[in-house]
Amino acid sequence: MFIVSYLIRAYRANTYEHEPYIYGSVRIEEIALAKHVSGSELPSHATGGDLAEGLQQVHLGTIKTRKPIGVPLKERIRRHRELYILFIPVAIVYIVFRYWEIGLGFVAVFKEMRIGQGLWESPWVGMRNFQMIFENPNVVRTIRNTIEISLYRLFWGFAPPIILAVVFHDMVWMRFKRISQTLVYLPHFFSWVVIYGIVFALFSTGTGFVNVLLENLGFQRIEFLLSTRWFRPILIGSDIWKTMGWGSILYMAALTNVDPGLYEAAVIDGAGPLKRIRHISIPSILPVIAFVLTLTIGNILRAGGEQILIFYNEAVFEVADVIETWVVRVGLGRFQFGVGIAVGLFQSVVGLILIVIGNYISRRVAGRGIW
Amino acid sequence: MMSFKPRGTELYYQIFIFIIALVVSISAIFPLMYVLGVSLTSTNELIRNNYFVIWPTQPTLNAYERMAANPAIWRSLTISVARSAIGPFLTLIIMALGAYVLSVRTLPGRKQILMLIIFTMLFTGGLIPRYLVMRQLGLLNSFWVYIWPMLPDAFGLLVLKIFIENLPDSLLESADIDGAKHTQKLVYLAVPLAKPALAAVGMFAIVNHWNAWFDALLFVTRSRLHPLQMVLRNVLTSDAFFDAAQNVLSDAVRTNVVSMRMATVVVGILPMLMLYPFLQKYFVHGVFLGSVKE
Repeated sequence: MFIVSYLIRAYRANTYEHEPYIYGSVRIEEIALAKHVSGSELPSHATGGDLAEGLQQVHLGTIKTRKPIGVPLKERIRRHRELYILFIPVAIVYIVFRYWEIGLGFVAVFKEMRIGQGLWESPWVGMRNFQMIFENPNVVRTIRNTIEISLYRLFWGFAPPIILAVVFHDMVWMRFKRISQTLVYLPHFFSWVVIYGIVFALFSTGTGFVNVLLENLGFQRIEFLLSTRWFRPILIGSDIWKTMGWGSILYMAALTNVDPGLYEAAVIDGAGPLKRIRHISIPSILPVIAFVLTLTIGNILRAGGEQILIFYNEAVFEVADVIETWVVRVGLGRFQFGVGIAVGLFQSVVGLILIVIGNYISRRVAGRGIW
Repeated sequence: MMSFKPRGTELYYQIFIFIIALVVSISAIFPLMYVLGVSLTSTNELIRNNYFVIWPTQPTLNAYERMAANPAIWRSLTISVARSAIGPFLTLIIMALGAYVLSVRTLPGRKQILMLIIFTMLFTGGLIPRYLVMRQLGLLNSFWVYIWPMLPDAFGLLVLKIFIENLPDSLLESADIDGAKHTQKLVYLAVPLAKPALAAVGMFAIVNHWNAWFDALLFVTRSRLHPLQMVLRNVLTSDAFFDAAQNVLSDAVRTNVVSMRMATVVVGILPMLMLYPFLQKYFVHGVFLGSVKE
């Protein structure tokens, strides 16, 4: 869920790319060139008034361009040399810690890697590693589990943040609203380890609060953490508990951008709370909904391995083992690198394809996509 | 939102949403209170009440004392604090450099570089390739494996970039007139002006570093280098599977385990709770940052 909030900001960041106006500093000869190319007279303030100064501040408001016109690329690169030098550390970090592993993955996936053998000496095996994904019944099971758990997460976790956002948005008792918000955002900042500790405190068989309560009320204890029936509800419930408040912030942001006059007008026209939600609130958060859905669908092959890795145990492998946990336990733990890499890339490629498709649909339906 | 006094249907609606918010708030806070309560309960009281304790009658710090006697806790605490200090600091430097450079709209190739950075959020090489890269770089079983891979934080960089772009143009332009170089503008103008954004992004980096344990599991087998969350994980999962069998264990042993586990959880949360007021001040701002248009 956190990656979703990451990306929504990235998405918003991107919308700034389309601003038609630029502000920047351009040399005087460029102003002349710009005049020539656009064929229009620049506003007088654009030349800064005093042409005697070598360098002028120009507002290219009317030209609608992203770069100074007419300057050859080489010259423009030379002029920004200092910026490229400043960027070198950033580029190195991204290349070494992001792109190198992608490249390495795409090479290694076509090789058979053995322990003690480097990447370059390993023999090429073509598509063998990908074939092995679908020949190994355990891997097939993890893919099925992954998709099932992702869909359950989507089904149960989708509405709560929206409901919460509408509740907070419509609440008139401001003081309670603020306290309540403070409380529900909090779990987002806990690690999955801590969340598991809390779940353990509540649901463990021997000493868990819920089980002690059940026993005191005369019921049987339930082995929540060890039963295949309860594992997924616990997993998804705790996920919702952790991310619901945080997820609502995105919708809140969309709701606060709505003109309050709309609600006031609706009230005057006699629209009740439900009608206002249906005709104002929901339509105004539709782009965010489309955005969240797109990303969720793109992540369908990622079922939250970091959470499951700490929640699961051998008793529930059957319903809990997902791609990420399998990659860590078997791929990395038992040195089945080839299949592990193939599954990982399979996840990424499928995810990317789904995001592109989702983005296309979202653009058609909601009029706005991720990019 | 609405400034009128609710009446009739509106009043019922307000009561309804109040109840929803109340239930959600209680469900958010109750488990935390419970964990804190158990961690403060003495062994005797737990047994006497058959583990049904919401808040102890005589709070005791026994569990914390026993935990503090464990040198592994202190060692891991040092690691966690070190990575939560060094990591965000270096991340901020990289982010500030990248964000400033990419905020200059005339930069040739700016759009392509941005695409490459956003791409890293959508596509990863996978766990095993990352493991292999760390092995090639000799970072396995090293403290720096916690720091370097977290430097390319695309989200933070983008938030910072927007913030710098939205700074008043006149400020940076006035520096142009004085003939300032980009390096000077970055150090003397962009960084001081972008302090709120830097604080927000830095605090999120602290949260990420404090809560991280996955990298320790993957890349570090030496337990001396494990951060607190990893030790906490081991404490919690070591015998979770035998939880049922614990019924056979003597009460004293069982209680020891329970209240100490809860004490460890509390220690794992505590820094986040202390940071939370600041986080809350900044994170709403951080999320809203992108939606505020000039």
